[in-house]
Amino acid sequence: MEEDKFDCIIVGGGIAGLSAALTLAKANKKFLLIERGEFSGAKNVSGGVLWGTDLNRLVPNYWEDENAGFERFIKHRKLTFADHESGFSLDFKSAHYETPPYAGLVVLRSKFDNWLAGKVEEAIAESDFAEDSLVATNILVEEIVKENGKVIGIRAGEDVFHADSVILAEGVNNLLTRQIGLQDDYVPADYLATGIKEVIRFDQKVLEDRFQLDGLSGMSNEFVGASITSGIEGGGFLYTNKESISIGLVLGIKDMREKLKKSGKSIYDVLNDFKAHPIIKDMIKGGEVVEYSAHVVSMGDKRVMPKELYADGVLIAGEAANLLMNSGKAIQGMDYAMHSGILAAETVIEAKEKGDFSASSMKNYRTKLENSYVMKDMNNLQGAVHLLHDKTLMNDVPNLVCDFAKDFFTIKNEPMQPTRKIFGKAVAKHSSWLDLIKIGIKGAKAL
Amino acid sequence: MKQLTISERLGLVRYRNQSKTKAKAHIEVETDICNTTCQHKCTTLVCPANCYTLDEMQQVHFQFEDCIECGTCMYACDQGAVKWNYPDPEIGRGIDWNFG
Repeated sequence: MEEDKFDCIIVGGGIAGLSAALTLAKANKKFLLIERGEFSGAKNVSGGVLWGTDLNRLVPNYWEDENAGFERFIKHRKLTFADHESGFSLDFKSAHYETPPYAGLVVLRSKFDNWLAGKVEEAIAESDFAEDSLVATNILVEEIVKENGKVIGIRAGEDVFHADSVILAEGVNNLLTRQIGLQDDYVPADYLATGIKEVIRFDQKVLEDRFQLDGLSGMSNEFVGASITSGIEGGGFLYTNKESISIGLVLGIKDMREKLKKSGKSIYDVLNDFKAHPIIKDMIKGGEVVEYSAHVVSMGDKRVMPKELYADGVLIAGEAANLLMNSGKAIQGMDYAMHSGILAAETVIEAKEKGDFSASSMKNYRTKLENSYVMKDMNNLQGAVHLLHDKTLMNDVPNLVCDFAKDFFTIKNEPMQPTRKIFGKAVAKHSSWLDLIKIGIKGAKAL
Repeated sequence: MKQLTISERLGLVRYRNQSKTKAKAHIEVETDICNTTCQHKCTTLVCPANCYTLDEMQQVHFQFEDCIECGTCMYACDQGAVKWNYPDPEIGRGIDWNFG
C-alpha cells in the first residue's frame, strides 16, 4: 500500500543509522529505523573515542545537555611505545581542548547510542511524520526485498515493509550487504581485527587522581609494541570514562590465526598478558572489571570495503561499508559512521525531491563521500595504514626507543656517553640505520 | 589486579533469553570439517567467548550459548565450516551490553 510506504528504511540503530535518522527527521521525511537490539547501543562495542566535531552538527550544543551521552572529552593524549618492561610516550595535554565543541569524546556505546536515539525520537515528534516515522527495536531484518533488481523494502519474519530507499547501517558483520551482492559472502580475515576490551570501574576520586582528570576532562592512551600484543599485529588502548576505564587490544585476525597456535595462547590470554604488563598493571590496580566484550573491527585497509556503496534503492553507511581509519594519529570509525550516515540521508532527501531512487541517483552518495574527509582520508592515508602494520614499526621501533631511553635517562655516576652514541647502540641492537631511514621516508610520505 | 578466568569474564555478560532452556542457534559449525581437513583449528584460540573448545583427543566442539556476537570466527575460519547469523531477538541467544 502506497500510504504505508516509507521514504527510507534504515537497518541498524548504531551511530551511522541514528545519524541518518536524525538527518531525515529534521528534513521531514517518513522513515523506519529497525534495530535488532533491545535498544540502540545494546549490541554495540567500541574502544572508544568519537573524534571530531560532527556530533555538534547533528545535536547542536550537545554539551549543554546535562545528560549528554558521552563520558568525558579528550584533553590529554598519549601514544606509548613499549618493550617488555618500559613505556616511552608521546604525551600531549592542553587546555586548548577544554572549549566545546570538543575535539574528541570518550563514549560507552550502550549509553551513547541510546541517548542519540532519544534525540531521534525528539526530532520525529517535531516532524510532519510524528505519527508515521518510527524507531523499532528487537527486530531482526532477515532479507532485503527486491523487485526488478531494485531494492523496495525489507523483510523481518513474516512482515514486509516497503520504502523508496534502504540505508544499510548494519555494522561490520554486514550480512545484508553480502546478501545483495555488494560484498562477497566470505570476507577473508586479512584486513579485519578483533577488538577485545574490559570496562574497569574505579572509585571516581581514585580515577581522577590517577589519570589527572578534572571535571569532564579525559585521557586517551594508545600502546604499540610486540610486548603489548604478544607479537600479534595490532595495539592497545586505554580511555577514561566517567567512573571507569575502557582498556583493551585490537588484534589482527589473520595474524592471530597464524601466531596464537605457536604460543598456545588464546585471545583472552593475550589480554591478560597486556593487563599484567609492568607499565599497565599499576594503572589498573584496585579496579573492578564490570564488563568484558569483543567485536570485529575493520583495520582501515580499503581492500576490505564493499565493491560499491550503493545500488538501485540502497546505500551502505558506517562500518557496514568498512569505513574506519587507523592512521597512527587516531582510530577513527564512529566519526566516519556519523558522517556517512548524514551523507546517506542527504542523498535520500535529494532523491525524494527528484523522485528518483535509481542507482544513478544513489550514486550521489558515493560522490559526496569521496568529497568528504571520510573517503579523502581513506584514500590518502593507506600508506599510514600499511606502515602501522610494518614489522619495523610494530616491533623494532618500540624496543629501540625504550632501550635508548633506558640509557639516556639512567644516571650511572660514570662519564656520560654522547647521546648520538647511545642512539647508535640502540639502533644496532634492534634495527639498522637503513631500516629506520626507510621507515622515516614511508612515514613522511604516509602522513 | 587479579586476572579473571574466561568463565568469570563471561559471567559479567548479560545474555538474552537466559531463562529459556532451548534457544535457537545463530551460528552453525560443521565440526566435521574442523576435525578432518582443518590444520589450524584456530577458532579454539581466537574466539573471545571460548565457544570453540578442544577435547583431549584434539577434537573441536562448538556451543553458541556463550557467544557475544563479535563475528571473529566467521572471518578466522577459512575452511567454510562456520555459518554465521545474527541471533533471533525472541528465541535466540546473544547479548545486551551494559556499557559496550
